[in-house]
Amino acid sequence: MALQLIINGISVGAIYALIAVGFAVVFNIMRFSNFAHGGMISACAFISFFFQRAFDPPPPFYVTILFTAVCGTILALLIDTVAYRRIRIKNSPKIYYFLMSLTFAILIEQVLNVFYGTNMYGFPKVFQSETFMIGSIIFKTMNMVILAVSVVILSALILLINKTKIGLAIRAVAINADTSRLMGINSSVIVTTIFSIAGILAGVAGVFLGVQYGVYPSVGPSMMLKGFIASIIGGLGSLSGAIFAAIALGLIEIFLTFFIGATEATVIMFAIMLGFLFIRPQGIAGKFVEDKA
Amino acid sequence: MRKVLLVLLVIVFMLPLAACQGTVNDNVGEVPEVEEVAEEAAEEVEEVAEEVVEEVNLEPIVVGNIQDLSGGASEPGKANAWGAEYAVQVINENGGINGRMIEMITLDCKNDLNEGINAYRKLVDEYEVVAIIGPPLSNPASGWVELSEEDQVPIVGHFMDEICTTDPDTGEPYPYMFLAEPSCSMQSDMMAKFALEDLGLTTFATLYNTGNAFAVAHAKPFMDYVEANGGEILAEETFTWTDTDYSAQALKIVNANPEAVFLSDYANQASLAYDFLRDAGYEGVILGANTLSLPFPSLVKNDIYDVYFLQNYDMLNTEAGGYELFQTYMAAEGADYPKANVAFGWDAVQVLVAAMLQAEDPTDGVELRDLLAQTDGVVLAEGTITIDPATHRPSNMGMYIADYDENNELRILTYIAP
Repeated sequence: MALQLIINGISVGAIYALIAVGFAVVFNIMRFSNFAHGGMISACAFISFFFQRAFDPPPPFYVTILFTAVCGTILALLIDTVAYRRIRIKNSPKIYYFLMSLTFAILIEQVLNVFYGTNMYGFPKVFQSETFMIGSIIFKTMNMVILAVSVVILSALILLINKTKIGLAIRAVAINADTSRLMGINSSVIVTTIFSIAGILAGVAGVFLGVQYGVYPSVGPSMMLKGFIASIIGGLGSLSGAIFAAIALGLIEIFLTFFIGATEATVIMFAIMLGFLFIRPQGIAGKFVEDKA
Repeated sequence: MRKVLLVLLVIVFMLPLAACQGTVNDNVGEVPEVEEVAEEAAEEVEEVAEEVVEEVNLEPIVVGNIQDLSGGASEPGKANAWGAEYAVQVINENGGINGRMIEMITLDCKNDLNEGINAYRKLVDEYEVVAIIGPPLSNPASGWVELSEEDQVPIVGHFMDEICTTDPDTGEPYPYMFLAEPSCSMQSDMMAKFALEDLGLTTFATLYNTGNAFAVAHAKPFMDYVEANGGEILAEETFTWTDTDYSAQALKIVNANPEAVFLSDYANQASLAYDFLRDAGYEGVILGANTLSLPFPSLVKNDIYDVYFLQNYDMLNTEAGGYELFQTYMAAEGADYPKANVAFGWDAVQVLVAAMLQAEDPTDGVELRDLLAQTDGVVLAEGTITIDPATHRPSNMGMYIADYDENNELRILTYIAP
């Protein structure tokens, strides 16, 4: 029983991790929480749904993931250009980023509402069998795929940030954008890279959320809250902290729901977040963030 | 308004008469002719007044229609709105209410209590509606119980939670609120009765959304009926609007090992709950409200088996009364499948119109209220409705039990009488 709960918790946490890292990666450089990320996830869920349905027979699942990741990147860059670029050039206060990200989050959801309604669309069946068993433990096929893909993507991302030149530049800009610029780092390229990464994560998360929970306009925003909590607990801007916190959050949620019920579990989870903010505002990763938007 | 108009007309017609009379007094020899003129003028006034009254009576009767057009239940809400508007169109084409047309004003309540109150106020204050067709949503409708009494505006709808039609403390009906389908508890009782008697099941679990009045108002009566009739509830699991993963609840239900699970929420959540239960290895019977109806098979990923749910109409039966209505909707809106909500909107209008046709003054809210409380045998899209004056809910309406065959085609299994 406990093992089954752990597996379920890690699977849920893996989805939260994809969302949380999408937040963290933008916060790392831009110093604001990109709430439009939830809207991007919803848009990507719809893109993947219609892409998968457009072909008979449907394309392999990995093709859908890749296609949606590309679309997510384009969408993220488009949002950056339309929403944030001007604010960045004018060096406007952070509150404008915050307002713009909220505006785009609502805008994307409402546009989807207008075109597709609030009805849920069932993603076409991806696997022959929805579950498989090892011993007495039931594994959900999709959960395992999500877990595997998340591990690969997040590992690649951590390697990119820590072991490559572009990663070094990202870290440099994250520490001090002005000094980085003086040292010859093109901050525009860094920002484009960051939004591309966020777009890829939104694309992949959109596909997974669509398959797992159905496709509807608020699928991204509804999950975004948990991802945001994870990114706060992890330490806003910290990728590894966000991943760790997301997995922990998934586990806590599953265990609390099982032992004390869904309603109480939600209350306790928010209490945990408040506790973290009170006791350790810098989050698990210990990186204090002054410019929290 | 009509009286003021009449008085003005009389004054307008009497002024020349008075002037004429002044002239007559100067010419005493013509007095008899003046009397004749006065009589003629009086007759003319009467005729014009009658024409004016007739014209006033032929003004359209304004009826409100509040539905969820953009909120979380907008898909069924739009179908509901379509059904009500189409009913009005058909009624007007057939002569309206004794010659008077109905003008329907449709507003969006966004499945929200406050938005519902705003829409209500706008309809009553700005459009001066005489009655309102309500949504199949209890959350916004619960905010109108007192307002409708203050304004004397009858509301007919499909808000199934009993708190929308009767005072939970006294059991007395809210005077202006009327339900046009079986209430939540009536429906849940029918499903529980079917499960206990027809399927012979004895152990159950429930999985429902505690944040949704619709879900709670179905689940609680189901459990009460089961326990009052020899059954046992082994697990009562819940989730909230913010939850998207029900795997922990599903696991608990699997461990409790009930013969059947009663799912209660809107279609999106009910479909998710079904998949989580099957994914967790639950192989027993799944019972549910009419939200497990179409398009349920296109929303779930697992195979569908042993799923039984409530249905208001036999929507796919070509011989059933509502078939043509559903087909008209599908053709008009390009819908892939029939929606019961179309008939909900249609039915609510039929109930209201039946009262209006009997009324001496179809714009009098009090008279309409009294007539609605006596609704008896009004023909609906399918079957008839008789409203119990003690509850303002139907007393004669049963429900179908349906399932899905091996090709995932919806089929009606039986009819459960109330």
